[in-house]
Amino acid sequence: MLSREEWLPLARKLDWDYTYVREDEVFPQVISGHPWLPHAEWKEWEESFKTSYREYVDNQYEKDMAVYAVRDAVGRLENIQKLAAPWMNSLKVHAAALPLAEFTGVIGSLRGARFGRDSAWRTMSTFGALDEYRHTQIPLLLFHQLVRWDSQFDWAHKFYHTNNWFAVASRHFFDELTLGQNAIEFAIGANFVLETGFTNLQFVGLASLARESSDHMFERMVTSIQTDEARHAQIGHPVLAVVMKHDPEYVQYLLDKWFWRSWRLFSILTGLSTDYLTALDQRPYSFKEFMEEWIIDQFLRTLDEFGLKKPWYWGIFEDELDIYHHMIYASAYTYRATLWFDFVLPSPAERKWLRQKYPKYWDDMDAVWEQVIERWRTVGPGAANERAVHGTAMPTFCDLCQLPLSAGTPRKNTANVLATEGRKYIFCSEPCRWIFLREPERYANHKDLVKRVLSGEAPAQLPNLLTEYFRLTPDTWGSDVYHGAYDWLAAQKTSVA
Amino acid sequence: MCMSIPLYGFLEGDTLGLLVLAEEGETVLELARKLQDAASIRVARNDKIDFVYNGKAIDPGLTVAQAGLQELDRFDVIWRDKL
Repeated sequence: MLSREEWLPLARKLDWDYTYVREDEVFPQVISGHPWLPHAEWKEWEESFKTSYREYVDNQYEKDMAVYAVRDAVGRLENIQKLAAPWMNSLKVHAAALPLAEFTGVIGSLRGARFGRDSAWRTMSTFGALDEYRHTQIPLLLFHQLVRWDSQFDWAHKFYHTNNWFAVASRHFFDELTLGQNAIEFAIGANFVLETGFTNLQFVGLASLARESSDHMFERMVTSIQTDEARHAQIGHPVLAVVMKHDPEYVQYLLDKWFWRSWRLFSILTGLSTDYLTALDQRPYSFKEFMEEWIIDQFLRTLDEFGLKKPWYWGIFEDELDIYHHMIYASAYTYRATLWFDFVLPSPAERKWLRQKYPKYWDDMDAVWEQVIERWRTVGPGAANERAVHGTAMPTFCDLCQLPLSAGTPRKNTANVLATEGRKYIFCSEPCRWIFLREPERYANHKDLVKRVLSGEAPAQLPNLLTEYFRLTPDTWGSDVYHGAYDWLAAQKTSVA
Repeated sequence: MCMSIPLYGFLEGDTLGLLVLAEEGETVLELARKLQDAASIRVARNDKIDFVYNGKAIDPGLTVAQAGLQELDRFDVIWRDKL
């Protein structure tokens, strides 16, 4: 019998010459990706994990058992109910955004498992697809038990099946990156940029936030997921290395596109959780500090390693670190009924902390919060007053990222209009416009929410939009966690009076 | 008959753009006030404002039609004398 060291290299590197069909028929460019190269160019493809199927299953079994053990010990409903209310809403954000996005990763990985150009790549993608199934199933399982207690957790299943504005934006991203992508762009966009650059480290950061918030169930879950991400993200590097030899400009384009698109979603998911939905005394760092320490340094080192340049919009990106997620949070707070989780007002102590962490634009953001707080002061606390502290006009959305037109600063919003082919588009930022113009045929026919309303596809009245199109109900749509009843706000009112 | 024109309105000090339905016959000052009202939950009222379209301040007495605003254009309402 062959030893593991003898049979595994044979099994992993099982490629052969085709005689009945041409190689480009087995791996058509349209689905294997650009550039199309004969297998000779890919035969050195390698990754460092070199896992066998049996080892994979044994290892995953142990990881699953560890998750279940933590769930049984500290993941019961009564444990979750003890968590701070703001953090609970960070959980709801991730419960919705994570599981079915991971499921689209199954599809993308399976494309690599069939159309990746080397057998070792295909083997690794097969494990990647199994990983992504796991990342779908674990959060669905863990959050399901919470639905009977709080129906906002139902959005773990429901989110991607609605036309909620954040679901439209997330689908726009994942449809392109994972569901409809060729194997090479998936490897570079998903494995290299999103997973190596963002989510692998995001999960490390999230685990840290969860630990600080005493949420040991979520901490264990994301840690377990992260160990899978760290492995299958490695598919991206060797694919990128081969494509760099033949078309470095294309690699730079994919990198520039997917870094920006990933940043957009990432800044909302992680930025809001880090700087607003984690209690002040449990924040280990600001979102900007996390980005600088965990994401940017590592990303720039990787670019150097491959001879790639910083994306052309790097200055815009660095500026956004100070402001974009703050613009989004304030906008979303004042349109909280359009979402499936609840929000908190930043307290005076939190605003002081935010000013210290984000001095560049905080004066302008603070003026917005002062105005919102003044509205609560005027109408007084209570669930019945939620509507009086809520936007009524239709918000607007970018024709590329599909997120609110909240880029730039309160002083200067960077939205810009493009008139082309008899139609008008609006983009939140120059990078979103640039991505659209590089592949207009890919994006031009997708209607943002405003165009859906104007064409009659979606209801124009906000309450109807929420219930009929976003599939929210008065019981599940977002509100202020405390309905404006904050001790510090009451104290301020008393002192003013 | 006046036609409603959907426009992207951006108020200085705000955190997002809003969809504003303009009437051809209303003045741009009235349109600016409409945007201020829509954003009042986030931005305090400021009476000293300019209406900016295509990078230029527009005479506040001009109507939407006279100012040449077209469907899905962007306009800005900024604090006076910034241009």
